[in-house]
Amino acid sequence: MKSVGERVPKLDAADKAAGKARYVQDLRLPGMLEAKVLRSTVPHGRIVSVDVSEAWKVRGVRAILTAKDIPAKAWGYAKDTTALKGDRVRRIGDELAAVAATDIEAAIEACERIKVVIEPLPAVYDIEATLAPGAPVLHESKGSNLVQTHHYEHGDVAAAFAKAAKVVEGTFTLPAQQHAALGPVGAVAEWDANGRLTLHDPTQIPFLVQRDLAEALDISPADLRIVQPAIGGAFGARLDLYPHEAIAALLARKAGAPVRLLFSRDEDFQTDPVRPRTIVKLRTAAAADGTLLARDADILVDCGAYVSWGSMTPVVMVNTFGNFYQCPAAKFRARTVWTNTQPTGAFRGFGNPELLFAVETQMDELARALKLDPIEFRLKNANRPEEVTPAGGRITSCGFKEVLEAVKAKLKRPAAPAEPHLKRGIGVAAVFHVGGGARIYRSDGCGATVKVDDFGKATVIVGATDIGQGMETAMAQIAAEELGIPVSMVRVATQADTDVRPWDVGVHASRTTFIAGNAVRLAAKEAKKQIEDARAALKLPPDAPVDKVVRAEHFRQKGRLISASAFYDPPTSMVDKANHGNVSAAYTWGCHGVEVEVDVETGQAVVKRVVAAHDVGRAINPMLVEGQIEGGVVQGLGYAMFEECVLKDGRMQNGFFLDYRIPGIKDVPDIETVLVETGDPEGPFGAKGIGEAPIVPIGPAIANAIADATGVRMREFPMTPERVWRELRNSR
Amino acid sequence: MKINLTVNGHAVALDVAPHRTLGDVLRNDLGLTGVREGCSTGDCGACTVLFNGTPIVSCLMLIPDAEGASVVTIEGLTKDGRPDPMQAAFVEKGAVQCGFCIPGMILASKAEDVPEGNLCRCTGYKKIQEAIREERRRTRPQA
Amino acid sequence: MREFRYEEPRSVDEAIALLAKPGRNRVMAGGTDLLVRLKRREWTVDTVINLKRIPGLRGIEDRKDHVFVGALTHLDEIGRSELLASRWPFLRETVHEMGSPQVRAMSTVGGNLCNASPAADMAPPLLCLDAVMVARGPLGERTVPLTAFFAGPGKTVLAPGEILTGIRIPPAPAKGCFIKFCTRRAMDLAFVSVAAAKVGSDVRLALGAVAPTPIRVPPSVEEAVKRCSPIDDVRASAEYRREIVRVLVRRALAKVAP
Repeated sequence: MKSVGERVPKLDAADKAAGKARYVQDLRLPGMLEAKVLRSTVPHGRIVSVDVSEAWKVRGVRAILTAKDIPAKAWGYAKDTTALKGDRVRRIGDELAAVAATDIEAAIEACERIKVVIEPLPAVYDIEATLAPGAPVLHESKGSNLVQTHHYEHGDVAAAFAKAAKVVEGTFTLPAQQHAALGPVGAVAEWDANGRLTLHDPTQIPFLVQRDLAEALDISPADLRIVQPAIGGAFGARLDLYPHEAIAALLARKAGAPVRLLFSRDEDFQTDPVRPRTIVKLRTAAAADGTLLARDADILVDCGAYVSWGSMTPVVMVNTFGNFYQCPAAKFRARTVWTNTQPTGAFRGFGNPELLFAVETQMDELARALKLDPIEFRLKNANRPEEVTPAGGRITSCGFKEVLEAVKAKLKRPAAPAEPHLKRGIGVAAVFHVGGGARIYRSDGCGATVKVDDFGKATVIVGATDIGQGMETAMAQIAAEELGIPVSMVRVATQADTDVRPWDVGVHASRTTFIAGNAVRLAAKEAKKQIEDARAALKLPPDAPVDKVVRAEHFRQKGRLISASAFYDPPTSMVDKANHGNVSAAYTWGCHGVEVEVDVETGQAVVKRVVAAHDVGRAINPMLVEGQIEGGVVQGLGYAMFEECVLKDGRMQNGFFLDYRIPGIKDVPDIETVLVETGDPEGPFGAKGIGEAPIVPIGPAIANAIADATGVRMREFPMTPERVWRELRNSR
Repeated sequence: MKINLTVNGHAVALDVAPHRTLGDVLRNDLGLTGVREGCSTGDCGACTVLFNGTPIVSCLMLIPDAEGASVVTIEGLTKDGRPDPMQAAFVEKGAVQCGFCIPGMILASKAEDVPEGNLCRCTGYKKIQEAIREERRRTRPQA
Repeated sequence: MREFRYEEPRSVDEAIALLAKPGRNRVMAGGTDLLVRLKRREWTVDTVINLKRIPGLRGIEDRKDHVFVGALTHLDEIGRSELLASRWPFLRETVHEMGSPQVRAMSTVGGNLCNASPAADMAPPLLCLDAVMVARGPLGERTVPLTAFFAGPGKTVLAPGEILTGIRIPPAPAKGCFIKFCTRRAMDLAFVSVAAAKVGSDVRLALGAVAPTPIRVPPSVEEAVKRCSPIDDVRASAEYRREIVRVLVRRALAKVAP
């Protein structure tokens, strides 16, 4: 192979390093107005009045909207989200009114002059208390704060627990995690004279926003075009339609001018969706010889005040729960709930980091209880290639054994430090994740067009979205390989909008390289065939360069355009009502081994070293794959060690980078990545998705290492010095 | 208020309100949008510029304090269309993902071996460290 | 940020006169704290009085009976000063634990102290060194020992019209250390900070972030724990802070007076 497998620098990296990439903050249209949203400072209440008359007196104000000025359209899975709130607020940050003005200071000033009267109602923030009888109900028409319940079961769980030699159980508490992408949220809206909307939106789901936003605005999706600027990080945050997108569009229509709505960092922290707070109650049983027997989980997931993807995280948890390890019996219940807090959404890993903190901690506990090596214990129960799981998962390529062995070979027990208050330990944890798409919508498809021009240059037009992971580069490498031309002769039309690009579900579920990659490969293969057909028809020699063949074909009167389109939708199914089924065309395994050093006097644990081994199928671009793994490890380290939203009366107390601590460069341990290439039969050139898996096992691996170092079992993230210190004290 | 300064080697004369920040003026008056605004409170480092050769966060400097100064933004590192060695190293070593933090990261890295004042949410920093080491190796071989 | 009037006085007297005018007037040193508060609309001002153009407020000077550090001396200048490092090397360690390099290049020692954060990192080491604050106001110049300078969170004993011009550090060299306890390894605020110094045979100890102001305490673990009065906040609980004081003070004292 000439292009696949090469460490090709990201095609957009030079522009980004030169400051030339244009993010939503950099867009400026002639006559553009700046927008600001007035947000509720009350966590739960009845809106008595919103008086905007004083706001109009601010110079430069061009449009003001309240709920009564806009279509009363609700969207979302529970149809509970609206652009502006008219009768009730359900969280701090709820959108009450919006202003567009000639400059941002005028818009802010106008918002400050809007008089709002809200009659406070009792509020509920706790995800357990919200289900208690008498708790204030957020959406009265729904009857209670229970959004939905997910169930799953296989095998005889009760019998398995009854005969087990060892059962471990525990309650695991996980905080809300902020995406904290460095590029703040925003959108720019403009309407043309035909009543058609163009939305410049760093969304992960351009085609679904086209559908959902059209519905929210009461216009035809045909009259809506989504253009994606460079995206300053997303990690799942932009996987749904959120109120600001509708507000920007509505203000622009009202003002008759383009409107830019940008979040301040504070707004980003306080109002954008987060990874849901989750409580996992888990029991795991094993036989004396180390055979895994059963698992039983009861889970509670926060949706916040309005339902977005947070409520669906149990779907991915179930997928892991039913498929991961050869576990003959499993029972799962997850309930998702409304609370008067920030809505929860998709975040890299999507439920899997939450669930596997519990599962992988208990694997470690069982191994210790049964006096088995934690890796040997996992190997004994590992999934094997070509296996059908009780959940209906069809496992094809499987590098579970290889990733476990890689970590075993590379993770060595460190020498004890000289200082008596420092203890060192090692720990491991594994991950199972989808790697060949995930059929959570009826479509898991993506389209691609590859055209080759008279200069021998190929252009790839693909539905997929780049959020920094390197989609464009991977697609160029796949197209180049299939066409037999250098990567430098491939362009990927990333600036194209939804009018031009073919259908794609969006960038989520680690699906892009696998799904879009297959679509591009099929299209490129067909384009290559067209070129070869032309070569034969024109009787050109086999060594005639591509540009010459294409030019000759395009200059022939009955010639044919060298351009091919393809659609790839993987051979998978949605899960049935009992949550059984094969949602992905490939699965991926990984294992992290970590070394920690714990100061037992202060409780401070420092991760010194990480070995991250992942079954990637095949690395289309090893440098970008390493980047995904290193980035996932550090994001997961932040989740496990530093990051939490501290709530007081429904308000996040630490909504700044100073106090919401994402890891900095000095917090990064030595990270060694190991790429295991199993060559998936369905993946493009054998590749599997790797975007999410690396964020998952790092947290439990650290917790297991802390247990190894100190004997203390951490069951709550983040494992701050104070939490570790408390556990140490309680254990004495 | 009249302010004179040098930006990327060019003399610039401004007439701006004194409550504005250097970062705001660079982005919005001079069109240097490579000066990224990630937090506007000095915590993320995305708006880093070189101020008389020293990295500072341009979101926390009032424009009058730039009087007479020489400011270099990411746009000023590219000379005659050729990237600075640090920009080249970031590209080659895979240190760029979403890219939002990268201009500030590159400018801080010109002065700091470990750019501890710049946050990145994508890369995990490992390839950023590799890029900085590579640039040092190329530009200061004796060190 | 809302608009404000802006002044650039060229002398301390001019600054004092501007400060005395009616309205909500604030002096600006480095500006890294002031601008954040203005942007978050925590403070409103009519006039910002920028002190940076006043000669003589920035720099470090050996004045024989003390070392003078101008109030507008940048934190990174403190970190680079050979004069300070030759006598009190732990001041450099302290600076390197503060903010980010970019912020250290902008913020000032005077600003750090006058903001009077209980967690101000410059305070504990300077408390150990018996630093004396020099202020000027409408009534002239006066000096205040740093131990008497802080009046509460965000409050100093400076009168409304007074400006801090510098800090005098008595000349005796000291062996010292600064231990800052926080979650991240850079760009973080202290849960607890401890400075200890040995000047001659005199061992001194000061604490940050565990009382309404940074405090000087007698050099023993028991006294330090007894005299701190930490609170529960978003960063740590009072109980935990007290325990960290116990641990860090023991370690700090072991370093400077083994």
